Amino acid sequence: MTNYKIIFTGPVGAGKTTAISSICDRPPLSTDKIASDMTRDVKKTTTVACDYGTVRLNGGDCLHLYGTPGQERFDFMWDILVSGGIGLVLLLDNTRPNPFQDMDFFLDQFQDFINQTQIAIGVTQIDRKSAPCIDDYHNHLSKQGLTIPIFDVDARKRQDVSLLIKALLFSLDPGLIENND
Amino acid sequence: MDNHTRPVKIAALGMEQRTYSTLQLFFHEHCKDSYVLVEENSADISIIDMDGFQAHRMLEEHKKHYPNQPSILISLSHDKTYDAVYIRKPIMLAALSSALLKAKERLQQPAAAKTPAPEVPTTKIVPQLQIVASNPETVTPVLLNNVVHNPHKIARQEKSTSKHFNQYRYSANFLTEDADLEHINTKLAENFNPDNPIQIAKLQYQPEQTLQGYFQKAYFTALQKQQNVLLKGVWRPITILHASKQLRVEKNFRHLYALSGMLFDKSDVSITVLDNNVDCEPGLHETVLPAEPFLWKLAMRTSRGRVPANTNFTTPIKLIRWPNFTRTIITPHALRIAALWARQPTSLMDTASYLAVPLQHVFMFYTAAVSLNFVAPVMTEENHSTATLPPVKHHRYRKIFQNLLERLRSN
Repeated sequence: MTNYKIIFTGPVGAGKTTAISSICDRPPLSTDKIASDMTRDVKKTTTVACDYGTVRLNGGDCLHLYGTPGQERFDFMWDILVSGGIGLVLLLDNTRPNPFQDMDFFLDQFQDFINQTQIAIGVTQIDRKSAPCIDDYHNHLSKQGLTIPIFDVDARKRQDVSLLIKALLFSLDPGLIENND
Repeated sequence: MDNHTRPVKIAALGMEQRTYSTLQLFFHEHCKDSYVLVEENSADISIIDMDGFQAHRMLEEHKKHYPNQPSILISLSHDKTYDAVYIRKPIMLAALSSALLKAKERLQQPAAAKTPAPEVPTTKIVPQLQIVASNPETVTPVLLNNVVHNPHKIARQEKSTSKHFNQYRYSANFLTEDADLEHINTKLAENFNPDNPIQIAKLQYQPEQTLQGYFQKAYFTALQKQQNVLLKGVWRPITILHASKQLRVEKNFRHLYALSGMLFDKSDVSITVLDNNVDCEPGLHETVLPAEPFLWKLAMRTSRGRVPANTNFTTPIKLIRWPNFTRTIITPHALRIAALWARQPTSLMDTASYLAVPLQHVFMFYTAAVSLNFVAPVMTEENHSTATLPPVKHHRYRKIFQNLLERLRSN
């Protein structure tokens, strides 16, 4: 059996835990704790180590989904988490004060990993705050010469999260066969 | 009631409910109930949609039982196998009215004078799954103009009816609202040769005088000027809100897609840049929609599997930005095509070949994406450098990715 992993990252409250829950086989192992710092203004619990879920594949292989803790003080774990990963899913919360700054931060932090693999970005909470819109994110990225899949996602919806992962996979290998039945 | 005043009884066959209701409204409002929809066995005239599944078989059955009943056949095809009055889709008001009159004349002819319906061999091969009548040889390159035999007359009629928006709804193209992918002419690109000008002409359409073209122009004007824009035509006014990239439109906006097959004269359409202080809050009977998915879908509906005029089939295409696929119709293989063009500009022909996908699917994605400027041909110098790029290599984990895709799909 071979193990592969996809990393979910993003700021606090972007929906990493929820996204992993919506896609993995069983409720993920989560290290959420009652928030005790400024995070509690955003949500009641926060992930302090990592989220972890699995998806069993045909042939006995297993895909591991790792969610990074959203707080920067745990960024020492990020290198360990991405080691051996096949791609990155970045979730951004559109209601945060400066989501572009968040995006730039995470793109910078994971730059080496992204260069070796691929990335797909999901923007959550657009239904609560419509600006900036997806087009604005693209415009921001195009200034850096980047063409990255960015979708408006609801982390609770399996279909949305699934589409993000598909975009990541096709970015890694457009030659994959998509069954359109 | 005698024959002069009683309504002509029409049977609408092979039509889905929406089309049926549209006809019903057309007869009621436009024809002042001089026609009425009834069951097949009590009808004077039948209207049959020939683009439906097993439509030919249904027509043969109908002719067997009602050989003297005049028929109006509506189709995308030029095929005129049967003795009937024909209307090409999309249906114009004038064409439908004229067909009804012709059928009525036939009805009033003495039975002996009527031309008997030609024998249709029962062994005729009937298409098993024909979503649209898609004889590639009979589809004209330019949308709609085949139905306008007298453009001046039609233009006058369109102008005279433009005050009465509802009438336009009834001349819509009779495509089902929800079957966004099903009306694509899937045979259009079969055996396509990019060096054959006749085939190229058949595969191209001109969006400029369609709702798609006008909407595109209004949308990009709004974005460029950073001002809201009002688009007026035979439809109810559409306001494009530049800041949120949304449109304010009447709540019952879905019929706009049905207008996709119609040509509108420039003089009947206006695009007005609004002062940003003008109140654009939606009224009671209006709603606000995201503009991109609207235009994406409109382009798909308008093109019917074709590509805009002047598309070069062998110039590499690059992806400028990914469509927001979670909120947009995903055309077949769209993610793969987008990923390929993001990574390596590739021509339409080469894309189909590299990815082993039908050319038609590449066209569908291209047409929708180019309407929003999500894709663009690569400039000449870049073109030179990308022309020699090798096809995308297999990823070493392709097998595992394939398994994961299957898993995502199955769940």
